[in-house]
Amino acid sequence: MILQGLTEVLQPMTIILIAIGTVVGIVFGSIPGLTATMAIVMFLPVTYSMTASEGISMLMALYIGGISGGLISAILLNIPGTPSSVATCFDGKPLADKGEAGKALGTGVVFSFIGTIIGIGLLMVLAPALCDFALKFQAYEYCALTVFSLSMVIALTGHDMPKGLISAVLGALLATVGLAPIDSKPRFTFGLYQLNNGFALVVLLIGLFAIAEVMSYAETVRQNQDFTIRSNVKIKGVGFTFKEFVGQIRNAIVSALIGVGIGILPGIGGGVSCMISYTVSKNTSKHRELYGTGIMDGVVASEAANNGTIGGAMIPLLSLGIPGDAATAMLLGGLQVHNVAPGPLIYEKSGNVVYAIFFAMVLSAIFMMLFMLLGMRFFVSVLKVPKNYLLPVVVVLCAIGAIGNANMLFDTYCMVGFGLMSYLLIKSKVPTVPMILGFILGPTFEQNLRRVSQLTSSDPFWNHPIFCVLIIATVFVVIFSVRSNLKDAKRAEQAELEAMQKAGSDE
Amino acid sequence: MKNKQYKLDIIPGIVLAVFSIAYLSMIPSIQTFTGLGSTPLTNHFIPYLWGGVLLFLSLWIIVRGLRKRKKYLAEGGKIEKTSLKAILMEKREVVASFIALGLYVGLMGVIGFLITTVVYLFVQILILTPREKWKKNYVPAAITAVVAGVVLFFIFRYVLNVLLPVGILSVFGL
Repeated sequence: MILQGLTEVLQPMTIILIAIGTVVGIVFGSIPGLTATMAIVMFLPVTYSMTASEGISMLMALYIGGISGGLISAILLNIPGTPSSVATCFDGKPLADKGEAGKALGTGVVFSFIGTIIGIGLLMVLAPALCDFALKFQAYEYCALTVFSLSMVIALTGHDMPKGLISAVLGALLATVGLAPIDSKPRFTFGLYQLNNGFALVVLLIGLFAIAEVMSYAETVRQNQDFTIRSNVKIKGVGFTFKEFVGQIRNAIVSALIGVGIGILPGIGGGVSCMISYTVSKNTSKHRELYGTGIMDGVVASEAANNGTIGGAMIPLLSLGIPGDAATAMLLGGLQVHNVAPGPLIYEKSGNVVYAIFFAMVLSAIFMMLFMLLGMRFFVSVLKVPKNYLLPVVVVLCAIGAIGNANMLFDTYCMVGFGLMSYLLIKSKVPTVPMILGFILGPTFEQNLRRVSQLTSSDPFWNHPIFCVLIIATVFVVIFSVRSNLKDAKRAEQAELEAMQKAGSDE
Repeated sequence: MKNKQYKLDIIPGIVLAVFSIAYLSMIPSIQTFTGLGSTPLTNHFIPYLWGGVLLFLSLWIIVRGLRKRKKYLAEGGKIEKTSLKAILMEKREVVASFIALGLYVGLMGVIGFLITTVVYLFVQILILTPREKWKKNYVPAAITAVVAGVVLFFIFRYVLNVLLPVGILSVFGL
């Protein structure tokens, strides 16, 4: 199966698709406002007619390119191209201002590569282990796992817990549309046969992320944005010396491991991992006062971590079917389109595709490094592409993606509806990522909860230690997050009070 | 001012509360299966659970918003009324984009993908372009719309086999 996966990736066609995917991913990542998720959304319809390995390989390349490309605008413009590169700005931009843009870019690229490879390595080791473990899961365990995952999402996404919960519940509620699990009776379909299968994940994601993104760009039309690049970029080799490289190895490994760890947790992605890893790297460094003034360490910490997140986020996606962030949720949609069902049996049922994914990821990482080191000038010039032309084309591609998902025009109506809903939710400060998790986990929860309701008399829950552990863990997570939420709220209130008092004394 | 955020709690809270009540009221009419092998928890249970939780959460943020509002008023804040029209005017590009998008997907089935896409692209590009730059952009926008529309239609319909609606162009045998 490993060999089969390798040969599938080494087909000339697949290699070309991976190369195209990487380049497009980097372009999307580098342009602020376009994300890796959008790149995957856009290319999903292109993959419909490909084989599973070709399609998924291309989507993986887009993902890796998209996360990596963000560093270009973070370093040159001080605007992160994707949320994953927020922390790259902190040291990348000062480094570029010192006239060392080449060094900053080279460092970012090389350590993105190292982060990706560490992430893939851990994915290859941990995913099969988690699959083996998850094979023991029955209704009880799945039930507890979904509850646990949902509680993690709510604990980790944002400070406003009720709104995070609203988002997750709204997602679960949307998933109740269609034929009910187990007894297949229609619910909330309003007699529309198009709704019998419920809403498609892909259509929901397009609406939530792509349409809403275009609309938030529409808000800024009247503010003149200036994306001119001041520094002239010259990269010679990789931009740094071998000695400097050796000095960063420990930092890179720690950061990548943080990235993988954050990636495994459901619902949070590169944006959080780069911030946490930057903070950890700063606090454990011998020269922490230099962070923020333009040193390699900061760029390494951010870029190794956000790329490590890729491998991490793939672990629960492949072995449990639970995506780690928005981009992997999109990949889940891509896997479903190609009839690959993620879960503990994925190695047995679609082993060749899994290994193809691994090899495609490695190849994408290599391509990403080569293209970015050799073609930096091209990617920098791409930053000038006017978004008022690009985004409408993205919307059309989204519509094609929605139509092609099940060859139904009806899905485009849903897409617009979800886009409107997402825009209004974002305006109301309700986060949208928990919604995807709610949408994906809701049906699993229902199905297994109803099975459990059948089993309780014959097979009580204390026969299921994993179930008990997960439920206890959930209780801890909930208590912990409620406490930290209350603390946050108190702190915010205090800060506000102090600010008011200060304002009062100033007067 | 930060305190004004009470509106971001009250208004969404009311909308979500109404939505969850409507959702909950539809549940009793769902058919249940009670035959052999049925589960003690019927297919009503989970909708009741999610609907109930959503109703609770929306009431929670309404109450939270009202408290914030009270505090804001106690601190001497004034309630400014903004009309819906003013908000829509402020966000006119967004409103126009949604209308354009709605018309685009709504008419695609009848008129066909190719024509609606070209028109939509042209209109959407202009919506996303600042008003004073429209004159300069008419020609490039039109060229982009036609080229992108035609290329996407032929690639996806004939190379990648996505069943894009042909609409009235079917008379030309497309």
